[in-house]
Amino acid sequence: MKLQDVDVAVIGGGPAGIAAAIKARETGAQNVVILERAEKMGGLLYQCIHNGFGLFYFNEDLTGPEYAHRFVEKAMDTGVKGLPETMVTGISPERQITAASKGEGYLTFRPASIVLAMGCREKSRGALGIPGTRPAGIFTAGTAQRFVNVEGFIPGKRIVILGSGDIGMIMARRLTLEGAEVAAVVEILPYIGGLIRNEVQCLHDFDIPLLLEHTITRIHGEQRIEAVTVARVDDGKRPIASTERRIECDTLLLSAGLIPENELSLMAGVKLDTVTGGPTVDETRQTSISGIFAGGNVVHVHDLVDNVSWESELAGESAARFAMGGKGAQGKIQLKAGRNIRYIVPQTISGQNKVTLYMRVNDLEEGVRLKIGNIMSKGLRVVKPSEMLKVELTPEQLEKLKEGTSEITVDCERRERK
Amino acid sequence: MSELKTEVLIIGGGVLGTAVARELSRYKVDATLIEKEVDFGWGSTKANMCIVCQGADHLEFRKEYHRSRLVWESMPLMEPMCQELEVPFNRVGELALFFNNSGKEKYEKMMARAESRGITTHQLLDRDSLRRLEPNIAREATGALYDPSIAITDPVRLTIALAGNARQNGVNVITGTEVQDIKAGAGGFEVKTSQGNISCEFVVNAAGMAVDKVAALVNADDFIVFPIRGYVAILDKKVSDLVSHEVHARPEAPGESNIITPTVYGNLFIGTPMKLARRGDDATNREMAVVALRNARRLIPDISEKDIINSFAGFLMFRNWELGWHECVVNTSSTVPRFVNVSIGFPGVSAAPATAREVVKLLSREGLELRENPGFNPYRKAITDFTNLTDEEKRKLIASDSRYGHVVCRCETVTEGEIVEAIKQGAATLDGVKFRTRAGMGRCQSGFCSSRVTGILARELGIPEEEITKKGGESRQLLYKSKELIGGRE
Repeated sequence: MKLQDVDVAVIGGGPAGIAAAIKARETGAQNVVILERAEKMGGLLYQCIHNGFGLFYFNEDLTGPEYAHRFVEKAMDTGVKGLPETMVTGISPERQITAASKGEGYLTFRPASIVLAMGCREKSRGALGIPGTRPAGIFTAGTAQRFVNVEGFIPGKRIVILGSGDIGMIMARRLTLEGAEVAAVVEILPYIGGLIRNEVQCLHDFDIPLLLEHTITRIHGEQRIEAVTVARVDDGKRPIASTERRIECDTLLLSAGLIPENELSLMAGVKLDTVTGGPTVDETRQTSISGIFAGGNVVHVHDLVDNVSWESELAGESAARFAMGGKGAQGKIQLKAGRNIRYIVPQTISGQNKVTLYMRVNDLEEGVRLKIGNIMSKGLRVVKPSEMLKVELTPEQLEKLKEGTSEITVDCERRERK
Repeated sequence: MSELKTEVLIIGGGVLGTAVARELSRYKVDATLIEKEVDFGWGSTKANMCIVCQGADHLEFRKEYHRSRLVWESMPLMEPMCQELEVPFNRVGELALFFNNSGKEKYEKMMARAESRGITTHQLLDRDSLRRLEPNIAREATGALYDPSIAITDPVRLTIALAGNARQNGVNVITGTEVQDIKAGAGGFEVKTSQGNISCEFVVNAAGMAVDKVAALVNADDFIVFPIRGYVAILDKKVSDLVSHEVHARPEAPGESNIITPTVYGNLFIGTPMKLARRGDDATNREMAVVALRNARRLIPDISEKDIINSFAGFLMFRNWELGWHECVVNTSSTVPRFVNVSIGFPGVSAAPATAREVVKLLSREGLELRENPGFNPYRKAITDFTNLTDEEKRKLIASDSRYGHVVCRCETVTEGEIVEAIKQGAATLDGVKFRTRAGMGRCQSGFCSSRVTGILARELGIPEEEITKKGGESRQLLYKSKELIGGRE
């Protein structure tokens, strides 16, 4: 395949990119290429050697590498071309791609359509603004995961973890199994940041201390980290000085948030949603730039890879249709985040087709009713910011929309108790 | 090194020490530079706003000050020096904002003083012309004093280049060597270091934060300096459009100077609250961050905390901090002959070229014989900068060496080829690679590339990965191998 003939170029060979590429081929696009900066396809799944993947997509409990492998195999079977060690360095609004590749040299080409699937990155110590010295031994949880699961090293033997995101909790268990002691998982919120199953299976089952409503106020140590100071926080998340105490450690892991990686999207002129940090998309996952689509964690950070795959398949299908001259979604109805709703993806829908909405709430609440304008309403026992809500709107429900509707508000209302 | 004899010993591999070393290498002098860290420029040079100023922008600068003279004399020297050494240098210009008439009058006074020194580059801008230059500036600013001659550079790269060029020209440059004691005798000095003894005839003490402590070892401390801590936050490149000049205003409270400046790589720096602090305590704290952000927003209201990718604190050694101005120490000790103390405090980088010349003069006055080194080569090649090559250059480079097609640091687009070049030039740590190539300096702060850079360092240096350190000493990144803690074998 010559790059000049590429129909769909997918940026990123993680779960999102591979799913998009397969679907693009299956939809009929001839030449589909994945540009992946790492040594091989599969993205971060290869370092996620724990199980819990594919429970929904495959109805099976798989490890990360197993889940990735199924997609990589299928991509090869469907004739997707993968270019590893190929880093896209630029995308123009006219869809011109430039990339540096170890195997292919310096590339410039213009595909008929593009799927953005760059995923997300972890917040660094600098971005979190943790005060103190700047010693060695501070890693994001994902970097530590790579060292432990791929490279074969244990960063240290007494660990503190800031943030209770899923990777952090999984690394707490992983490092405990490797013989390290996890002195504490420190979470600023009154509840954990990741999935409940990880709190139970990774922290409680291994007696790992979880300090809710606490934060780190100082890092100690000149060359290697020696300790952290932790403190309880008040309602405004401000540390309470009188509660400060020192916890000795030789390693600090950070698992306090993920940021969709959209530097290339910005270069292409794609409009980003200030809440999700990802592109604003319509129900076909087209961004604000015609012919550029996006799927997976680059759009918004998911809890489950299964949803990443589904969402990206949609992006891949739409990119293929675009490349083959098809028309995108017609009509734009804005979805507006109402009471206790942080965001909704997609940001716009056509109102014509069946659509799945992904949402997150701002605050934990019990006994609520989710209302999508006046077309759907659903009672929920509990909602948490860490657990994504997923609601499917059927064509029958969408028929209730009045002619000329331009906006639908989604609310998470308190349910009256009877 | 167990025993070493040298004519001139330079203590300290910061911007001043290395500038002196390079200046001395113009002559046939047997010179040695020792640095206690494993690399150059990791003290005050590293904790820097990266501005090359001409010294006319502060009321405290007066012709009777030694320091002002050194800064002024350095002005025409810095750009050619950066060109010779292929170090980034960018004349961005400076805007000193004022918010009312009294502010304006103060700047008019400064401008007059600068003009009396023959510095005529300044212009007073009204609000409209200011906004044309910097559309995002605070609406409250009523005008600015504009100096187009102010520039920015990369002080650590400059220091590495100065050290490298000095070495090319014959100076013995040694890292990881800390001075422990100095004895003065009739024939010269006996210097005890962590790596052995050095005997020398002349000493240049450019020990930065430890300048007074090193001088005190031999009772050459005929000066007092105070450690002043400054703080800088680094903003993501994606907000580089917010400001294109170095912008500052007079502080509202002592120590609360506020400044925003572009860097040569497209990040912005905000800073720098300054305070007297315990020496070496370069930990950041919440208060510094809050003050820096608040003051930066006085200049550019759109500056946001969420664009901060990292922050750091570092020290300047000031004399007379309490008086609100300060003087430098660039002279032969009045108590110990042939012992030259060098400490600028601020702005050390800007004053480095002329300071180096002056130190050589002082040494000559003390009896050092200066014969020209006919082989002196002022030029030094920089590491390839892949990002700034043209498409055609990139294509050719990757075709000739595929390692340049392997992007290791994705935030800063640093290739394996550049990292290997840096290691060949002397980088032996993650920070050493970072300061030479920017790998790990971007928005993810090495989350993605640290494992890859560790692997490349281990491969190129021929040592196991677990011996790779962040910054030398006990700063190993990976303390154990898999299964080591549970007594098993892999």
